Amino acid sequence: MSMRSQVYAWNGNSFAGAAPAAAAGDFVNTQAGIQTSIFIGGFGNNITKPAETTATEFVVIEDVACTPSLAADVATTTAGAALAVGQLAGWTVVAGTAMWGPRAYVQVRINTTDYFLNPDNVTNDGIPGTGSPYPRSLDFQPSFNLYPDVYVLPGQVWDVRYTAYCAATNWGTTVGNSLTNGNAHNAFCKYTLYDGPDALIANKLLEMGISINPGNVDWYKRSLLSAQGM
Amino acid sequence: MSMRSQVYEWSNLAPGTVAGGGVGSVLNRSQNDLPVQIPANVSTDIFIGGIGNNITKPAETTATQFIVIEDISCTPDLAGSVQVRINTTDYFQNPDVTQMNGVPGTASPYPRGAPSVNPTGTGANTATGTVITTFPDNLLKSFDLYPDIYVLPGQVFQILYTTVQGTGATQFAANTAGQVVSAFVKYTLYDGPDALIANKLLELGVTINPNNIDWYKRSLIEQQTRSAVAAAAAPTNGGGQ
Repeated sequence: MSMRSQVYAWNGNSFAGAAPAAAAGDFVNTQAGIQTSIFIGGFGNNITKPAETTATEFVVIEDVACTPSLAADVATTTAGAALAVGQLAGWTVVAGTAMWGPRAYVQVRINTTDYFLNPDNVTNDGIPGTGSPYPRSLDFQPSFNLYPDVYVLPGQVWDVRYTAYCAATNWGTTVGNSLTNGNAHNAFCKYTLYDGPDALIANKLLEMGISINPGNVDWYKRSLLSAQGM
Repeated sequence: MSMRSQVYEWSNLAPGTVAGGGVGSVLNRSQNDLPVQIPANVSTDIFIGGIGNNITKPAETTATQFIVIEDISCTPDLAGSVQVRINTTDYFQNPDVTQMNGVPGTASPYPRGAPSVNPTGTGANTATGTVITTFPDNLLKSFDLYPDIYVLPGQVFQILYTTVQGTGATQFAANTAGQVVSAFVKYTLYDGPDALIANKLLELGVTINPNNIDWYKRSLIEQQTRSAVAAAAAPTNGGGQ
């Protein structure tokens, strides 16, 4: 159990312990344009404390993704036009946006540093869901592969932060709330957790300039064993 | 953090009025963004072209940076294309060495799997119970940017989007105009020591990618280890006399 493939799926609409509530007043009206932690952001399913590695843990983030979006043809961009087919079925066009979907992005933050930057070295919103969609379907396939991976060293705090730009959108429920636009704000993170001795080996591989993945950790173990004559 | 996978997504969206559409460019996206008109057959720099989301200055590498562009794509609708320009040189050219618009969105679509023509309908509104049901096709890529494009230290690079048909002037005016188009670029930024290694690999004629950078680092470490062992063994072999 010292190398474990892990995932974290976040749904901004889900509320732990209860079905989506019906009352509009139960939800903050909009979170558009505001970066929200998918771990402790206060929306959707959350965890109990910030994601961090202990002194004996090493995390390699291998994929991040979120809900994609799709441009609408002009003839269909009347406010309220709903897409009935495909992955974004249920999303409606809000007056002016000419887009179906949340226009969502995910950023990875290590301690206080954002990973994804614009070419002018200014931090940006991160990976667009349209480039790295979750879930993947025939309608939306990835244009982006997170390689090289993102390393979270022992003792670091890390976060995956979600930003959406759909207007007049309530995050919460599609029930009983006329302002709700669409069904889901999803984000996804796939990572491998190295713990104990494997985290030490991961650190060693990092020093050696070798990519950290389960194959290379196993290779290092084998080379140690063979050096001992086993 | 000296090798980082990066992306940049551009759309012709900027704040404006619902009647008149979006205007100009913006540094930060907002929920009030609207489609900005793009004229036909005019190349627009997706970084500082003055349309849609832009950045603060031209995209360039510093003396300690090296960029490898690995993928470019754009909206296939409206006959859109993307071109890469390094300093003043366009990367994609016709067989007769004349200028072209670059890689068509139909060959390298963004998003992948999206329809070649944006879903269409007839001014549907949920109030009337009408919904959009057309989703013409799921377009996949015919083009793979390989070999990658290198942006050397100190170079300026541009990604140019061109639509042959152009987008409309006004949004929601009689449902006649104003489409959203996007472009996407995926690149890896090598910074500091890794940029130096990238330059070294370029000299050696070795492809620059994270694996080869790591390989070069390992070979340096091995070389140092061998030198240290040889230096330690030298006195016992009489090298100290």
